[in-house]
Amino acid sequence: METVTITLDGVEVSGYSGMTILDLARESGVDIPTLCHDRYLAPTGACRLCIVEDESSEALLASCVAPIRPGMVINTRSPRVLERRRLLIQLMLASHPDSCLVCDKGNQCQLRKLGAEMGIGLVELQKIPRLAATQEVNPFIERDLSRCILCAKCIRADQELVVEGAIDYIGRGFATKPATLNDMPLENSECTFCGTCVAHCPTGALMEKEKSYRGTATKTVDTVCPFCGCGCTLHLEVKDNQIVRAKPGESPVNHGTLCVRGCYGYDFVHSPERLTSPLIKVDGEFQKAPWEEAISRVAAEFKRLKQEHGADSLAVLGSSKCTNEENYLLQRLARVTLGTNNIDNGSRLYSATSRVGLGQSIGFPGTTNSLEELENSEVIMVIGANPVVSAPAVGYAIKRAAKYNGAKLLLVDVRPTKLNPLAHIWLKPKVGTDVALLNGLARVIIEEKLFDEEFVARKTDNFDGLSQSLKPYTLEQVEKVTGIPKQDVQRAARTFAQAEWASIVYGNGVTQYVNGVDSVMALANLAMLTGNIERRGGGIFALQRENNAQGACDMGSLPDFLPGYQSLDDAQARSDFERRWGSSLPGNAGLSALEMIEQAEARKLKGMFIVGENPASSFPRPSLVRKALAALEFLVVADMFLTETARLAEVVLPSASFAEKEGTFTNFEGRTQPVRKAIEPIGGCLPDWKIILQLSKEMGQPMPYSSPQEVRNEIEELLPFYQRPASADLEKEDVEWAGLESESVRTKRLYRGPFPSGFGRLSPAEYTPPTDISGNGYPLTLLSGSVLPHFGSGTRSLRASRLKEFSPHSWVEVSQDDAKHLGLGDGDPVKVASSIGELTTTIRVTDSLPSGLLFMPISFPDSPVNELFDIKLDPRSKAPFLKSCAVRLERIKP
Amino acid sequence: MTRTKKTTKADLKKIDAIIGNYRGQRWGLIPLLHDVQMAVGYIPPEAMPRIASGLGMFPSQVQGVISFYTQFYTEPRGKNIVRVCRGTACHVRGGKTILKLVKRELGLEEGETSPDMEYTLETVACIGVCALAPNIVINQETHGDLNPKKVARLFEGKRKK
Repeated sequence: METVTITLDGVEVSGYSGMTILDLARESGVDIPTLCHDRYLAPTGACRLCIVEDESSEALLASCVAPIRPGMVINTRSPRVLERRRLLIQLMLASHPDSCLVCDKGNQCQLRKLGAEMGIGLVELQKIPRLAATQEVNPFIERDLSRCILCAKCIRADQELVVEGAIDYIGRGFATKPATLNDMPLENSECTFCGTCVAHCPTGALMEKEKSYRGTATKTVDTVCPFCGCGCTLHLEVKDNQIVRAKPGESPVNHGTLCVRGCYGYDFVHSPERLTSPLIKVDGEFQKAPWEEAISRVAAEFKRLKQEHGADSLAVLGSSKCTNEENYLLQRLARVTLGTNNIDNGSRLYSATSRVGLGQSIGFPGTTNSLEELENSEVIMVIGANPVVSAPAVGYAIKRAAKYNGAKLLLVDVRPTKLNPLAHIWLKPKVGTDVALLNGLARVIIEEKLFDEEFVARKTDNFDGLSQSLKPYTLEQVEKVTGIPKQDVQRAARTFAQAEWASIVYGNGVTQYVNGVDSVMALANLAMLTGNIERRGGGIFALQRENNAQGACDMGSLPDFLPGYQSLDDAQARSDFERRWGSSLPGNAGLSALEMIEQAEARKLKGMFIVGENPASSFPRPSLVRKALAALEFLVVADMFLTETARLAEVVLPSASFAEKEGTFTNFEGRTQPVRKAIEPIGGCLPDWKIILQLSKEMGQPMPYSSPQEVRNEIEELLPFYQRPASADLEKEDVEWAGLESESVRTKRLYRGPFPSGFGRLSPAEYTPPTDISGNGYPLTLLSGSVLPHFGSGTRSLRASRLKEFSPHSWVEVSQDDAKHLGLGDGDPVKVASSIGELTTTIRVTDSLPSGLLFMPISFPDSPVNELFDIKLDPRSKAPFLKSCAVRLERIKP
Repeated sequence: MTRTKKTTKADLKKIDAIIGNYRGQRWGLIPLLHDVQMAVGYIPPEAMPRIASGLGMFPSQVQGVISFYTQFYTEPRGKNIVRVCRGTACHVRGGKTILKLVKRELGLEEGETSPDMEYTLETVACIGVCALAPNIVINQETHGDLNPKKVARLFEGKRKK
């Protein structure tokens, strides 16, 4: 790039061509005030505050949009510039109410800050008529357009970052204002309440509606969002040990955005339902107890059970929501202190499929590239995922790629999502026929010689085996099975294969189906055939439902793997850990999460320690799970709330929330990010890592750690892929991320090159006709999934006051045809029944579903969708199938 | 102002055909809006999402452009458009009274359309024939040098009782 030198306030500085004056000034440490500029938004030059004087031409230039030119002589503080800036602020204040004293934006208002800096008090200019505040009933955002300065940051954030397009300017002149379509309240628009516009608004025009707290935060902390697997950085504002606000933090993951959960869902932390003291059940009633008593009771019971029934009568269920350090400690507790491999975590429900499928094919159990690179893809295939809901930061990135980078979006989903308006091709396979479609695509790619021959020859094996296995998947056959026209399959295959950089994004719509492992392998085949592993802008992106699902598995909270996916059968790995922990390790693979439930029901399992999971709600057949857990001799639950699971326990230990502890989370990309303590633990809560350490000590096996940092040191020492890269082999991106992080924990990519075994294995994936679709007296197919603003089984999101207020009850979506056929209308109460169980809810008629399909959100324990699903396990991944089942819909007579 | 006409299926079909001529071309928004207005008489708000998706824009962006230009209408308009000039010259020569009279004659306020869709009343800043002030324009025809009698005569027999 060409170097350009200019004179800036009398000093010669150099930048590259294309840089703006503002960029260069900021780089050189020269401060220029701005209101409408933001590093994540395209500059527009709307506010004009950044004007500078070009002394050679005497022109006043808006420095945020004016590029540097050789020989420019720029004065950023000439008398003309300063006078003009003062006038601009005065004009803005002339159309701004004098309500600073009562405005909740307070000291964070940038207009007020600039006015104060320039010494502008009350403005003597004639007041310009102002717009009225907008009436809204949503619990999240309040718009007072009398304070709007028309910087368009909200509009640009909405359109450029979130790509929702809910707002734009309406009208002209004095009447101009940001508005939704038809100037409706936000709740009647496309708005998803992600809060991005609020975070970007420089004045009090857009504010949080919640006024439970007024005043200025005394402390801010950057930590990681505790909800989905994206791992957005949350900037928490804290006062008096209370989180008062959450904003997007600086991070390459969320890029200045958040979603409704991250932005408005944090207050479960301060829910009155939080447990504040350990509880011990006495005669069926919980009674508060001191920590010492609770811990010694647990230790004594576990010791007794181990002695009487052997170590394998005990099991530990870890959490995909706890930190890496806690999961590491937890598996050590299970393996060393208790002496069993019966350890698993809640991500069994959705990520085991990926682990097995990807592990077998590419040899690495997770996402192979970064979100930034996803945005550089030429083609993005999204299959069995609704990232806009389940992983919003990924959804935004995909939308940006499609809208602004020209990426072609290839959607495979039976239900339309918010990605559809941007889709290049939308394939609608019949439910459960993904494998046939993916094999069909692979066959076209091989037949038309569209595959990357060099990559396939050099980096993969079993090409012939795969080609052979694809024989039956002719276009005709694929059309017959999936219902997708031949030419569409062909077109999709060509589009995908001909792209230089192509990505695949998949979610629970793939992993929770019966043949999920095959689907994952078929996806991996597509990526490998086209050489899209280890390539810029290409890769496999396996979405994770929960914040630390990836990390919990990496840490070995798994019955068949030691930390770092080192096999229990690997003598070298075992002896490494045995030496380190000074104890022998059990050699037999343990029970997976659902097997624990089966064994508990069979009364072979006697004691369980469940940390931060709620299987009595999130597992299939919750009523059965509850019976099984109740049959245990001794159940201990560590949780923030008295969940459905905790109620069954003998001892409940109150856990600290994400905001009350230190550690790291690993997001779905494999990026390990620091979790920082924002507030002191509420009441008598303790972080899980402390609970585990105390318990292990009480059981006579003290662990030599006193802080998460010490645990992390051991992890980095023992886990090949959590090791700090030596500075010599730092990748470029690692350097950038390391630069972002000043503290000892850096964010870094976990994935360090494909195919640890040297080769990726093209693995034949076999299509088996789906069994979990309509038939036999159950004429409809029900799909389950996530919805905004809720999350998972709703344990936290339903305790976040605003999320609950906005969406308190469950529903079932019914197509117009089916509703008409059954004589049902919006809001009618119905019974949904499968061969396993039934539930009641109300219906929502939608035009987005094809007839024969229903959709239900998973987040409402009052209408537990999981009751409809059987506990049937995939033999390879040991995961249940929780995506679709055959149901019947019945009207409930009022 | 209440909507007096619901967009018919036939209108939406016409609009879809027009969108087809500009599919994927963002630059085509303004000509497209003109075409729609020519064909249907106004731009129905329910057409905005269709137009937006046809051109690869957001509906709010389309609305932004429509609401910026006074020449685009989102309400059905009468068969006859009456524009009363409120320019300086007309004002000096009693334009305000003329406006009051026209309002009374038509029974309409500024910007309103009569329920029978006969008349729409608008004001305009200046029509450039100040020598004939005060002026009004009915459809394409300019009427100058107005006085109360002439106004009454202009709408005689046409006026809705």
